[in-house]
Amino acid sequence: MAAAARSGPPEMASNSSISLGLLVRLSLRSIFAHRIKLLIVGSLLSFGTFLLVFGTTLLANVERAMETSVTGSLTGHIQLVSLDGTDQLAFTGPDAGSDQDLGVIESFPKVKEAALSIPNVKAVVPMGRHVTIPLLGNELDDAIQELRDAVDAGDPALTARLVRKSKRAIGLILDDYRRRLTLLSNSEEIEEAILDLEKAGSDELWARLETEPAEVFEFLETRVAKLGEGPSHAFIPFIGTDLDAFAESFETFTLVEGEMVPKGHRGFLFNKTYYEDVFKNRIARGIDKLHEARSLDGRLIDRDPALQLQVKQLAKFTSFVTRQLDPDDAVELERKLDELLPGTEGDLDRKMVALLELNDENFDRRRTFFYEEIAPKIRLYSVKVGDHFTLRSSTKAGYPKSINIKVYGTFQFAGLERSAIASAYSIMDLMSFRDLYGLMTVEKREELDSIRAEVGVAELSRDEVEDALFGDVDDAEEEAAEGDRFAAFQLPDVESDAAPGADAGAGGPIDIAERVAAIAGSEAAAQESQQETFTQEELERGTVIHAAVVLEDPSGLSQAIERLNELSAERDLGFKAVAWSEVTGIIGQLIVVVGAVLYITIAIIFLVALVIINNSMVMATMDRVSEIGTMRAIGAGRRFVLALFLVETLVLGGIASGLGAGAATALTLFLGNVGIPASSNDFLIFLFGGPALYPEVGLLQIGIGLFAIFVVSLLSTLYPARLAARIEPVVAMQAKE
Amino acid sequence: MSDNVPNIVEIENVVKDYPLGKLSVRALSDVNLTIERGEFLAIAAPSGAGKTTLLNLIGCVDTPTSGTVRIDGQSTSELNDSGLTKLRLHKLGFIFQSFNLIAVLDLYQNVEFPLLLQGGLSRKERDARVREMVEKVGLTKQLRQRPNELSGGQRQRVAIARALVTRPMIVLADEPTANLDSTTGANIIELMRDINHAEKTTFIFSTHDPMVMDRADRVARMADGKIIDDGRGGAVGAA
Repeated sequence: MAAAARSGPPEMASNSSISLGLLVRLSLRSIFAHRIKLLIVGSLLSFGTFLLVFGTTLLANVERAMETSVTGSLTGHIQLVSLDGTDQLAFTGPDAGSDQDLGVIESFPKVKEAALSIPNVKAVVPMGRHVTIPLLGNELDDAIQELRDAVDAGDPALTARLVRKSKRAIGLILDDYRRRLTLLSNSEEIEEAILDLEKAGSDELWARLETEPAEVFEFLETRVAKLGEGPSHAFIPFIGTDLDAFAESFETFTLVEGEMVPKGHRGFLFNKTYYEDVFKNRIARGIDKLHEARSLDGRLIDRDPALQLQVKQLAKFTSFVTRQLDPDDAVELERKLDELLPGTEGDLDRKMVALLELNDENFDRRRTFFYEEIAPKIRLYSVKVGDHFTLRSSTKAGYPKSINIKVYGTFQFAGLERSAIASAYSIMDLMSFRDLYGLMTVEKREELDSIRAEVGVAELSRDEVEDALFGDVDDAEEEAAEGDRFAAFQLPDVESDAAPGADAGAGGPIDIAERVAAIAGSEAAAQESQQETFTQEELERGTVIHAAVVLEDPSGLSQAIERLNELSAERDLGFKAVAWSEVTGIIGQLIVVVGAVLYITIAIIFLVALVIINNSMVMATMDRVSEIGTMRAIGAGRRFVLALFLVETLVLGGIASGLGAGAATALTLFLGNVGIPASSNDFLIFLFGGPALYPEVGLLQIGIGLFAIFVVSLLSTLYPARLAARIEPVVAMQAKE
Repeated sequence: MSDNVPNIVEIENVVKDYPLGKLSVRALSDVNLTIERGEFLAIAAPSGAGKTTLLNLIGCVDTPTSGTVRIDGQSTSELNDSGLTKLRLHKLGFIFQSFNLIAVLDLYQNVEFPLLLQGGLSRKERDARVREMVEKVGLTKQLRQRPNELSGGQRQRVAIARALVTRPMIVLADEPTANLDSTTGANIIELMRDINHAEKTTFIFSTHDPMVMDRADRVARMADGKIIDDGRGGAVGAA
């Protein structure tokens, strides 16, 4: 009989609209009748959902925390960079430490105007990222400088006290060198140093201070100061910016100490965390770190080997305290230490070592002692708020440039105090940045133009120069300015060399006058060129490297980027807009790696679940051939059987994923309350954007989890369900119960 | 179809072959049989004679290799799988040798199951119908028991209730007493007989139990895939 001729009896009602209720009831009964299947498949689906929901929720929260810590502190939501740069802007990771060619944004006011024309843009902050080294003296330098100031001021009492302090410090260094002499075979240099130190410690030298102060100071500064223990030459990553706009745009910006740099003034603000880590006395910082670990992270010295190691290392740095003391302070401190630690033998250093033998029982008392009795007697920070200090950087042209700048204060971003990203950069005014980076200010540019006009120099591109040298002479003559042709390509050539990779034709960002000054070894000349105050217009009119765009509503990020790029093209502004996530460098991409690992793990679990569910359902089908055959015999259609199997897995999947998602949500809520501590782990602090992560439940992640389970359940049951639907009713007749 | 068709089942020249590797085995050979409405027919044959195959064809769970099986005037060969399913659901009831109750459903739910498949009845109507059938088979006290909590006889009674709950024209029973002791078997046959009398439902059952055959209106006998006696006083079908 041909199948085409076959049909259903027309007079009978159709049973195709089988009630979902029946299917669900049957499914539930079947699920609970097959407990092993329920247990295996259910736990697998449940665990899969839990992992997916909790993992993606955690990931989303980490991403959000990182986003907050990055966008709220450094990059804004979008960075505007020049189209001319060959490197991609990176605030973190290895690229951030390298000399990036980012080009320059020539006309920041126009860029700012264009960006602010977008309603979602809240602020545009000009920026430049660079690294500098502070030129700092050692403790002997500081002591000698203090002494010189006292002598200059004609204060005999202070002078006498500071002489004693210097002699004491020299004596301690001399002891150190004598110890070294016993250990080293190549001792010529040490012997020479010892001779100088002995001379510096002799009464004879100090007796000359009144009569021949210049000679004494020259000897001390040139021969002795260098023998002191040098400060660490830390690199300071910083951002040159419009400080007021920066403070205003990044809402969590908080001034911790000092004051904001007055408008129109040059100045430097330290990132508080960086300042503490690098510029604070090492013992004081060590004690602070232990205090943080104990009070913020709940760690105990007695139980934590890492903290015990930190305690042990503190003892090596007693000289950072003892050498700074004048003899009176040293005597007083020794007396106080004897009171605190009676019976401790040895000199002051030994007693300091005893003080720093910290444990959970004595920590708070000894920390209080340190800050009450020792800290006031020493220089707690190598650069203090209110000090001027010298910063040296390598300009884009490759020559060193120094500026003298005042530290107005320290700042931090509220809530991101321990975030590695948010703590990475200090800030300074844009004008000082331009000096250190080798960018031209408007005035310098005008000055240079006038010099060019005076000497009859024109600015030529490389092509023009090549034409002038090797090409058609007439063309070159036409294009070149009047005057000596040799002089005509001299300056552009210097510029071209000075800024490798920079677009010389676009005017070139490098200050030639400065380079000439630097080549001549006259840094002083360069420093003199620093303008002490400036107007907002001068600040904005000069070139900037990049700019941060802060949005009102971060969810409109991609639209804002699109619109910014359109505006740049329309108005020929020469910049491109990049999302914050693209400028965080390789470290920022860690989130992608963590996400990939999580998704691969989940995918593997789901693949395993898929195979197991499939196998389990195939086995269940085989076990239920008689049951299905009976259903078919008494009138159930193939579609009913198909639906029965699908609903069965979906019901199981629904229950299991509900439990999994519920557990994930409960855990997230719990952790959202108590927080996941980063436990002083730098990587976790980086990921969490602070000392702890307080995750929030994400409906999207729950939705994704449930949907994924739906798909996995459906896919894993398709084959067994089709198998079951093919069971013929005739098998019911052969069935044995 | 309607009641004016005198024969509820008409089997004409039916052949059924089963493939066995490259060969085929003939289970039924040129079978002819007619069954009237309301008959209580026993098909008697030794094992392997083809009586289950014949019941499968009448029960629309299988179709003949050649020949015609008509149920209430409808040729089963003309129906596709869906058509055969509907025919089974609406016109046929099955009582299996091994009862074939759905293990995960309780007594009530097993009986209700075909009604749910049929659809069209309200919950109240369904409930009344199920309770009526359960009462007829005498299991009102076991309504919420699962099949594994019932005795063999009780299970077969549930199977009878399930087969009759849709008020089918024909109830097919494949050796309904084979798995029961003789007393229970006799009770089951009595029950079927009572329903046959009361409802005028056609009962067709296979058996090789002489006690069961005694209770039938008619006994059709088979041997080697053929009807050797249609119970109407002579051999049926040509050789």
